[in-house]
This record gives sequence, C-alpha cells and structure tokens, in this order.
Amino acid sequence: MKHDPKASHCQCGGKMSRRGFITALGVGAAGVAATGAMTARTATAKETPMIPSGEMARIDLTVNDRAHTLLVEPRWTLLHVLRESLGMTGTKAGCERGECGACTVLIDDIPRYACLTLAMEVQGRRIVTLEGLMEGEKLGPVQEAFLEEDAFQCGYCTPGQIVAAEGLLRADPNPSSETITRAMSGNLCRCGTYPHIHNAIQSAAGKRR
Amino acid sequence: MNQFIGSRALPDLVYHRPGTMDDLLGLVKGIEGEYRVVAGCTDFIPAIRGGKWRFADGINVVDIRGVKALSGIREEKGEIVMGAATRLSDILVSPVIREKAPVLADAVSQMASPQVRNTATVGGNLCMASPAADTAPPLLVLDAKVAWRTADGEETTPLNKFFLGPGATVLPPRSVLTEIRFPAPGPDEAARRTRMGQRTAFVCSIISVAVWLRGGPEKIEAARIAMGAVAPTPILITAAESVLIGKKPNEATLAEAAKTAASNIAPIDDLRATADYRKSLAETLTRRLLAACVGDLA
Ligand SMILES: Cc1cc2nc3c(=O)[nH]c(=O)nc-3n(C[C@H](O)[C@H](O)[C@H](O)COP(=O)(O)OP(=O)(O)OC[C@H]3O[C@@H](n4cnc5c(N)ncnc54)[C@H](O)[C@@H]3O)c2cc1C
Ligand code: FES
Ligand code: FES
Repeated sequence: MKHDPKASHCQCGGKMSRRGFITALGVGAAGVAATGAMTARTATAKETPMIPSGEMARIDLTVNDRAHTLLVEPRWTLLHVLRESLGMTGTKAGCERGECGACTVLIDDIPRYACLTLAMEVQGRRIVTLEGLMEGEKLGPVQEAFLEEDAFQCGYCTPGQIVAAEGLLRADPNPSSETITRAMSGNLCRCGTYPHIHNAIQSAAGKRR
Repeated sequence: MNQFIGSRALPDLVYHRPGTMDDLLGLVKGIEGEYRVVAGCTDFIPAIRGGKWRFADGINVVDIRGVKALSGIREEKGEIVMGAATRLSDILVSPVIREKAPVLADAVSQMASPQVRNTATVGGNLCMASPAADTAPPLLVLDAKVAWRTADGEETTPLNKFFLGPGATVLPPRSVLTEIRFPAPGPDEAARRTRMGQRTAFVCSIISVAVWLRGGPEKIEAARIAMGAVAPTPILITAAESVLIGKKPNEATLAEAAKTAASNIAPIDDLRATADYRKSLAETLTRRLLAACVGDLA
C-alpha cells in the first residue's frame, strides 16, 4: 500500500494530534516501511505489515455502525481507544486484566474484553458498545429490562453486564436459565445484583422476540 | 502517569501481523530485540499489567491470528488435529471434539470466562506452561503431541515432554507452536476430567485431574492419569498405570491406583490451597474419575 498523506489525519473530530511519521497500514497488505526510532526492530519488515512503536498507526473501526478512521499507538487497547480517542465512556475500565468484565464489548457480535484486545488487532472489525444498544434516544430492550428489574446498584459493572447479555441474546434468543448463568460468568458485580441481572436477561429475551 | 487508566501501562510495542506461515517464520527468524509470539494475548497483557513481564526497551508483538493455517480443528488419518491458534470457544463448539474428545470440551468449558474463551487459544495455554493450564491434563491423557516450526524446519514431541517448569517449555528460540494432535479415541476407550476451584467459573484451578482407560469391564488394557496444579508443570503420572493395566477394574484396584497417583505428586501450599488438601483431592478425584470411566466402558 502507498503512503497516503491523508492517512495522517484522524477523521473523527481531530482530537488526536499527529505524532511522528505516519505510515498507513493496509489490511493484510504487504509493504509498510519501518521508520523512526525504535529499540525493537525487525529485519523482514518489508514482507509483513508492521507498525513501529511510538508512532501512530491508522486503523479503521466500525463502532456502533459508524465507520471511524483513527490514529492509534500500537500499545493502546481497544478499551483505551473507545474511551480516550472516541470519548465513548460507556465501556468501563475495571481491572484491565481480564478479571471483571466491566469492559465487555461485542466484536463481530462476540463478547470479548476490550482491555485484553489491542486496538490494532481489531482493524476493520465491527465493534458494538453499550452506546450502540440505544435506539435513538430510547433504551434498547436489554437496557430497559435492566432498569425494570432493578438489575444494578452502583452501576459500574452494568455496561459490561448489558453488553454480555446482548451478546448472549444475539447468539441464543431463548437461553435457558443455565445458559444465562454460564454466559454471564465473565461479569462480576461487587454489589451482588446477580439474581436481578438474571431476571433482567430473561425478561429482555421476551422483549426482543 | 503510572495511574493512567488505559494502555499506558503497556510498554512501547511494535505490532506485527503476518498473513502467511512463511511470513511469520521469516519474521520471527530475523527479528531483533525482545519479541513475543502472541495469539489471544489473554496471558500476555495480564502478565505485563501485573508486572510479571517487563519490557523496558519495548517489545515486538508477533500476532499469529492472521495466519489462517494456524487455526481450526480437523480429523486426519485417525488423528484429531488442532491448530495452535484455535480459540477455546471454537473447541467448545467443534463437532469433532464434542463427538470424539468430549473430555477436552468439558475442560475448556470451565476455563476462565466466555469473553476470555472467545479470545484465548489452546496453543497459548500450553506455551504459557502454567502448572494449572487446564487444557493440559485432558490432552496428556489423550496422548497428544505438539508440533512447532522454525524457518528451518519442523519438530514434534509428545506433550508429556513439552513442559520444563512454570513458564518454561522445550520450544526452541524463534519457533512457533503450530499444531496439537492426538489419536481419535476408539469405542473401547473412555476419558473423564474434573477440577476444583474456589468457584466453578473464572478462577485458577486448585487441582485438575484427567484419566483415560482402554479396555472393558473384565480387564483394563491401558490407562493414563494426568494432573494440573500439583507439580511445577502439568504431569502425566505413569506410576499408577501399572496398578491398573491387566487388572479387573474393581473398587480395590481403582482405589489403589488413585492412592498411587496421589503419592506421586508434589503439590505446594499456596494462596489457593494447601499441599495436603491437594493430595487428598488428588486421590478422591482420581478414584471417582476412574470409576466413571469404568462405567463408560461397561
Ligand atoms: C481472567 C482469566 C482467567 C483465566 N482462567 C484460566 C483457566 O481457568 N484455566 C487456564 O488454564 N487458563 C486460564 N487463563 C489463562 C489464559 O487465558 C490461557 O492460558 C489462554 O489459553 C492463553 O492463550 P492466549 O492465546 O491468550 O495466549 P497469549 O497470551 O497470546 O500467549 C501466552 C504465551 O504463550 C506464547 N504463545 C502463544 N501462542 C504461541 C505459539 N503458537 N507459539 C509459540 N508461543 C506461543 C506467548 O508468547 C506467551 O508467552 C485465564 C486468564 C485470564 C485473564
Ligand atoms: S476491565 Fe476488562 S475485564 Fe476488567
Ligand atoms: S452494580 Fe455495583 S458492581 Fe454491579
């Protein structure tokens, strides 16, 4: 892929500044030149898509049905990019090491932890966050069910719970009680609202039908 | 800045995503400085966040998920073959695994959480060489072999010879684990596994046990017992095999085998459990699993 000077500008509101020399990354394409200072280098950079550290790389992400082109540092996680670059703070940072579930997002409809996902890895993929479950100004069915069933106290785990539940219902619109328990086992709630969450998911399954 | 929420705690990294096996092997061969081959990153990122791994001078991250040939499950000449980058969630839904090796699906179903299983790989689990790696005991009793490649060739070793210690394997530098394969079990074989943790989900095992038997109600022809979290590596406990082989699988034989297995482990006291508790679990769980396998064979 050719170097594209336009690639150095974020098209998402220009919040990010250009840092260093930017090389564009082609999806699966070869031929990105390595530039700039790095302590770690590769001898075969010519053959492999490679993003130098300390520099911004361009990635395309579809977040909640909207296409974004972003400049990211290779060490940024998807969680970081959602919150800090896109300002979408619905996705919460809890443990940041895969142990709580607060950062759950859907990547191509599959629930994963945004804190264990490098933003570079999800180049070109479809991301859904809590914000994406709204229908305009209206709450989506899972959100509504959480409200009605009083499925939260402090609310910190709630976005992750709701997105995990949405992921479950997309894969299995009529989950058994056992299936709900298993599917939600990666989302902890310090306030202990588990029974209400369980009820909310059962009720959301009905609403979605 | 250390308090900064987000990836600031991750070191400067260079991200590589080769798309073919040749590119991957060439890249790994020529790379300068620190590097890690990663698949799901579910061990990699927590190890950095927790301070277990530090890369002060930056790190090359070689993501193997772009190499299609490294994931997928197939049956080939009487063997089940899994690519190293096969995700745990793909093992769970694989018709081949569910039919031929449900013992592996059973183990995977209790690992971590759905979100981690949707990301983590079987190769990553083995390469991390945690003493508690949950895919290891079932794969050990299924007589699995692992294969790796470098730019210069390919090698295969029994999984039993793969682990050297916590976090250490026989993988040579600049190699990539490519495949895990095991013979498709026949109708006269049975395998079971279980584990103990502080909860059923989302915890590291206090102990995990897997057993495999071949034979019938009159005679055991072959046996394997493997455990995790009871030694520096997941282990196959061969000492108990001779207690079972050639015998009628009655209660006394199974009890003796379980006792022998438990006396051949070297667990430690840690924050999850004491060594004594692990020994006692090892015996009880092995005996129960053996009995269940005998039931499966009847
Ligand atoms: C919250 C949480 C819970 C967990 N629970 C469990 C559990 O219950 N049981 C369990 O066993 N584990 C558990 N784990 C650990 C982890 O999820 C697994 O070990 C997982 O299978 C690792 O796979 P990965 O693809 O994410 O590995 P990565 O993090 O990508 O890699 C792990 C290590 O293996 C190396 N590596 C990976 N693939 C290759 C390859 N093909 N060739 C050479 N080297 C390679 C990497 O360099 C690295 O050192 C848990 C982790 C978390 C965060
Ligand atoms: S913040 Fe990602 S799992 Fe806790
Ligand atoms: S509502 Fe407070 S942590 Fe779940």
